[in-house]
Amino acid sequence: MLKSSTIILTLLATTLCKAQTDSVNHISERQLILKLAYNSSLIYPGISAGIEFPILHISTQVMENGKIVRNYTKSRLLSGKINWYHHPEFHDNVYLTTEWIMRRTGYKGFISEFSMGPGFSRTFLSGTTYAVDDNGNVTVIKLSGYSYALITIGCGFGYDYWCRKQLPYEIYARMNLISMFPYNSTVSFRPVFEAGIRYIPGLVKSRNRK
Amino acid sequence: MIRKLNITIRFVFFLWCILRCAACQKERITINSSASEAFYVANDGASMRVLVQGNTAGNTFILVIHGGPGISSYFYNTRYISQNLGDKYAMVYWDQRNAGASQGNANGRNLNLDQMVEDLTKVITVLKFRYGKDMSLFLLGHSFGGLIAADFITRPGNQEMVRGLINADGSHNYPLNDTLTRQMLLSFGKDQISKRRNVDDWETIVSYCNTHTGNFNLEESQQLEKYATEAEGLIDSVKKINIPSLLLKYSIADKYPLTAILSNLLYSEDSDFNKELASAQFSSALKTVTIPVLLLWGKYDFTCPPALGEDFYNHISSAEKRIVISPSSGHNIMLQDERLFCDEVNSFVLKYR
Repeated sequence: MLKSSTIILTLLATTLCKAQTDSVNHISERQLILKLAYNSSLIYPGISAGIEFPILHISTQVMENGKIVRNYTKSRLLSGKINWYHHPEFHDNVYLTTEWIMRRTGYKGFISEFSMGPGFSRTFLSGTTYAVDDNGNVTVIKLSGYSYALITIGCGFGYDYWCRKQLPYEIYARMNLISMFPYNSTVSFRPVFEAGIRYIPGLVKSRNRK
Repeated sequence: MIRKLNITIRFVFFLWCILRCAACQKERITINSSASEAFYVANDGASMRVLVQGNTAGNTFILVIHGGPGISSYFYNTRYISQNLGDKYAMVYWDQRNAGASQGNANGRNLNLDQMVEDLTKVITVLKFRYGKDMSLFLLGHSFGGLIAADFITRPGNQEMVRGLINADGSHNYPLNDTLTRQMLLSFGKDQISKRRNVDDWETIVSYCNTHTGNFNLEESQQLEKYATEAEGLIDSVKKINIPSLLLKYSIADKYPLTAILSNLLYSEDSDFNKELASAQFSSALKTVTIPVLLLWGKYDFTCPPALGEDFYNHISSAEKRIVISPSSGHNIMLQDERLFCDEVNSFVLKYR
């Protein structure tokens, strides 16, 4: 048994969540999140852009002796992204991912998150590709490369500027591990570092209405 | 409005990516004294990376056939070789299928020796397509690459495609290789034990060799290879290869796809292909070889013992042949005795190009 009485007040709702405090209402109005990031695989640079749809918010206030001692929000989001990195002399990889994101935002705005999901990758070899037929004739293959199934898993942290400064932005950094298969009959893993910004247009509308 | 903008941004971004990729694949052929260009040769489910580096204006090319199966050609591209061979010749680093930066989908069924010889033939065809049919081309096979080279040059018509062969610690006969490795481990082991050097390690090796005497299966063959690598490390006068240091030195500058190299190596090491290799041998076919041949070996190469080089030397019909044993090298003469390696390759290529 817990000695102190812990009361969990809230709630769970969808994007139109029925929360009980002002702060929770602001969060509930978030509908669509746009994101843009630097996307680097090993040390090779690229870009990532996408959207996130909030599926679920759980806003929690932990109270002790009638005082709020902790306040945080857990979110569940569905993300769709297009990503690209350029590894010279190896390949350019353009890959689409859909991810299930589990995110926790503290009352000061600190964000931690974990995500995973499937994707599809199309690589483009970084160099002219030749084919030789049985008669020894050489031809150049246009846009040569391979398609792979892909699974991505990652975690990261960030900061939500809405909590303190009422700005509709979040910055974040995360490490992802992408695995592509069948890659030469096996699986190819690549760590990918992602750092970027999320913009929440729904929050601007909410602020303008006040 | 934002939705429309978002769609437009993504479309432009995607279009830019495609154009960017297409630009990378534009054919670029450089003829100068310091070329560096990578291209790919696609064949039966694999796109194999070929890096041409060095003096392409001299019209002399040395095609490196790396070891393995599954080791990458990246590890052969050292500064010393670039400065001492690449200044005069174009070094061609070919990543075999399922190795290094080579790419593909489910292509494991094509991993066999016949396919690799066909791949090599096509790589040579593309080289001649890019740089001219009159080029002077030399093959440089190391370790498992020696087996591919031996298979290639003993097939009808193939010797006409190259000016000469350099065999560096290469294996052309796997069953004989195992026998010679065992013999060398036994004789060195007994000698080292009598001199009270690394007694525990050598006793384990000698004991294994005493209980496994011949007709080696794949497991025994792989265990002998493992002991051969260990034995080389027990000889103080052999220069040790520091893999982490090599990776630190070259992986960023040479843009190694590290994780792909590792995946390919693990797959190739464990593939059924190795069963086929266990019985591969070209000693009897070598009598057809008449092109100039240079054999470079490490005195302390337990993996492919110097006696294997002698077997190669004795079987070929070439009038111009030379065997050189490095007194301070093990299985990787190009890394362990760089000076002797480059000097010998230089003299050989200059003479026969």
